[in-house]
Amino acid sequence: MNDVLVATADIHAGTGVPLETTLFFAALLVGLISCLAFEDKIHAKKSIIAGVFALSSLFLANVFHLYEYVDHKFLIMLPPFDSGQGHIVELPVYIPAIDWSVIALIFGASLFIDITSKSGLFTWIAVKLTKASKGDPRRLLWFYGLMTVAFSAVLNNVTAMIIVGSLTGVSLRKLGRVNLMLGFLLIEALLTNIGGLLTLISSVPNIIVGNAAGISFVTFFVKAAPFVAVATVGTIMLGARMFSITNLVDIEEKKEAELLVGGFDENDGIESNSFFWFGAIMLLLFILTIATTSVLPVVQDLGMSFVALAFATIMLVRYKATVDQFYRAIDWDLLGFFAALFIVINVMEHAQVLDLIGIGLAKVISLNDTVGHGAGTGVILVSSAVFSSVTDNIPLSAMLAKILQAQGTVSTDPLWWSVVFGANLGGNLTPIGSASTLVAVTIIHKNDLAMSFMRFVKLAFPFAALQIALATAYVLLFLQ
Amino acid sequence: MYFEAAHPGYIRNHGDSEFSLFGRIMTKVDQFESMFRSASREVFVYERVNIESVLVVTDLDEAEARSFGDQVRQFLTVISDDEKVRWRNVGGSEFQTAGELMALVESAAPDIICTYRNLHSSAWKWSYSLGTHVDLLTQHTPSPVMLLPHPKAERSAGHAFENTDMVMAITSHLTGDNVLVNYAVRFTEEHQTLWLTHVEDEATFDRYMDVISKIPTIETDEARKDFMERLMKEPEDYIDDCVDVLQAAGVRVQVRQLVTFGHHLPEYERLIEQHDIDLLVMNTKDEHQLAMHGMAYALAVELRQIPLLML
Repeated sequence: MNDVLVATADIHAGTGVPLETTLFFAALLVGLISCLAFEDKIHAKKSIIAGVFALSSLFLANVFHLYEYVDHKFLIMLPPFDSGQGHIVELPVYIPAIDWSVIALIFGASLFIDITSKSGLFTWIAVKLTKASKGDPRRLLWFYGLMTVAFSAVLNNVTAMIIVGSLTGVSLRKLGRVNLMLGFLLIEALLTNIGGLLTLISSVPNIIVGNAAGISFVTFFVKAAPFVAVATVGTIMLGARMFSITNLVDIEEKKEAELLVGGFDENDGIESNSFFWFGAIMLLLFILTIATTSVLPVVQDLGMSFVALAFATIMLVRYKATVDQFYRAIDWDLLGFFAALFIVINVMEHAQVLDLIGIGLAKVISLNDTVGHGAGTGVILVSSAVFSSVTDNIPLSAMLAKILQAQGTVSTDPLWWSVVFGANLGGNLTPIGSASTLVAVTIIHKNDLAMSFMRFVKLAFPFAALQIALATAYVLLFLQ
Repeated sequence: MYFEAAHPGYIRNHGDSEFSLFGRIMTKVDQFESMFRSASREVFVYERVNIESVLVVTDLDEAEARSFGDQVRQFLTVISDDEKVRWRNVGGSEFQTAGELMALVESAAPDIICTYRNLHSSAWKWSYSLGTHVDLLTQHTPSPVMLLPHPKAERSAGHAFENTDMVMAITSHLTGDNVLVNYAVRFTEEHQTLWLTHVEDEATFDRYMDVISKIPTIETDEARKDFMERLMKEPEDYIDDCVDVLQAAGVRVQVRQLVTFGHHLPEYERLIEQHDIDLLVMNTKDEHQLAMHGMAYALAVELRQIPLLML
């Protein structure tokens, strides 16, 4: 503890920010995180909570003179910096504080996916898999489980849960297997956060941490995929055992089940065959382009956000007269939340709050040397998971990413992965841990099934514990 | 309940606005559920109806009953060609009361009963009832009842009671009614025509649309269009499935579809006349009531010119 205080005093001696000021802003950060944790109690959306804290922090930062102005102007240098051709522009302080590439990537990708889903492609895949299962519950669980992981990776965990969860309700009712619905929905909910680990753009923590660490799409996929595969298989097998989801044995039962799911028509949701194929091809191209952005000439300089915006624009051309319907579907609350959060973090950086947390983090990381066996890395993963289970994982990942970046952590360091795995998997510990588990609980209630907060925790804990243990072992054994 | 126990205010606070998280999730889930329900269709399962015994019930004397029985056999060559079928004629002397007839039917346990309206009564002259015996037969026995034109009446259509080369299954809810379709297929002569019809009651539809037109949050014209399309689509899809399944099973009948809006009775009268229908097949039992369901009774009383198969 004394070491921390000495180090803190050293930092503040060098930066000119008094320790009291830093602690004051640290309290503001704790206030923001607490408000986000109790979002439902204070009846306010994330963007409003973060917005209020962003404006207050900015105002107070200027009261405490944390930003440097030249003649009351906030100036930044545009590239190229070293050729003498770059020039200085004046911008409001909160504009460069926002990581616009992250905002643009989320905006473009969600718009693209929303329009692509209009082609009926995802429902077609979902119905095809249902029919391929021949109505056998165990096979259906495997197919729906794998579909959840794939959809979470390509779309996002909320959309994946909505698609697979609503199909689960309809198909299990058709098959007369309502008794299995709770197990199916819970397993799917827990798999959304596994699927969210598969690619760099599968979840917001991945985007934030991956961007900060400089991990490419392909590297992210190659490193995450083995864990996703093992965790998916483990979760489905444990789920099938816990909820007694077995194969059909009786021949008559098999015939009847096959006949019932045979009644699904995968083409029902396709309004235009040409748009269906266009959507399928564009999705493939999108994944390929995003995966190769870091090596594509010209595109590599523009980044993944440009790719996402470009693909969204191409899709919008198809609906050029009615694009406003898609703009309305954008999650503006989420985007507003990000923008405000980046501003808060920028203020915290100037107030030396992140450095202060970094000192504490360094102590934890030093356990790797003092205790050995990657103990520090493991502690960060588990504590990230616990933290993410009760409050939003986005501020956590944004803050930790910023600190690790400031400490010069190399992109191959397993600490980045501790944050990624912890932030994603923590969502499986409680029903409020992630948006997709909340969606699952909503669908469970919609189907008149009982699910209390504690019952969710009790049922989900063996899965979450297994996943976090697997992740810790994977990071320590294979990513060190 | 999770929200009530752990977060008492959550569901209320998030559910009272369409812009809330809870409201948005529910809307999205409902949208996808609707899509998947729409993709989930009723499948037709073909099962050949097995008819091994036929009971022809009349109120005639023995000779007339035999003659009527022969007429029925000629009419139903589609089953009478099968030598295994046992035919039994019941004359008027074998029963008087409805109770006696029920006992007789119970002991015979036929696969189908052929009879006509107003047994042991002269009320057949007026088209206002079916008679006590037929009322009981249709509702009290599990066997389907084929209602034939009265032997003394001269009101049957010219083509009626000769063969079953033009059969029509009628209902206001065809989708999923495998039994109705299977019976209709069984009574259609090989290579002849089976009409599968679904007449959506226009009066009921208009009544619902009238209510919808008074709800400000529902766009009336769009609702009318979507509602009509959906009501038509389901039976059309089901009939398409029937055609495929029957073809695959090697059943050689020509299936034609008719899905429309209309007022039931006049619409069916028009169709019977227009297509020279020989036999109408319809449901009469209603699991929620003891009496024959509303539309079936009206049709059975008024459509006297051709035979009806009442399931």
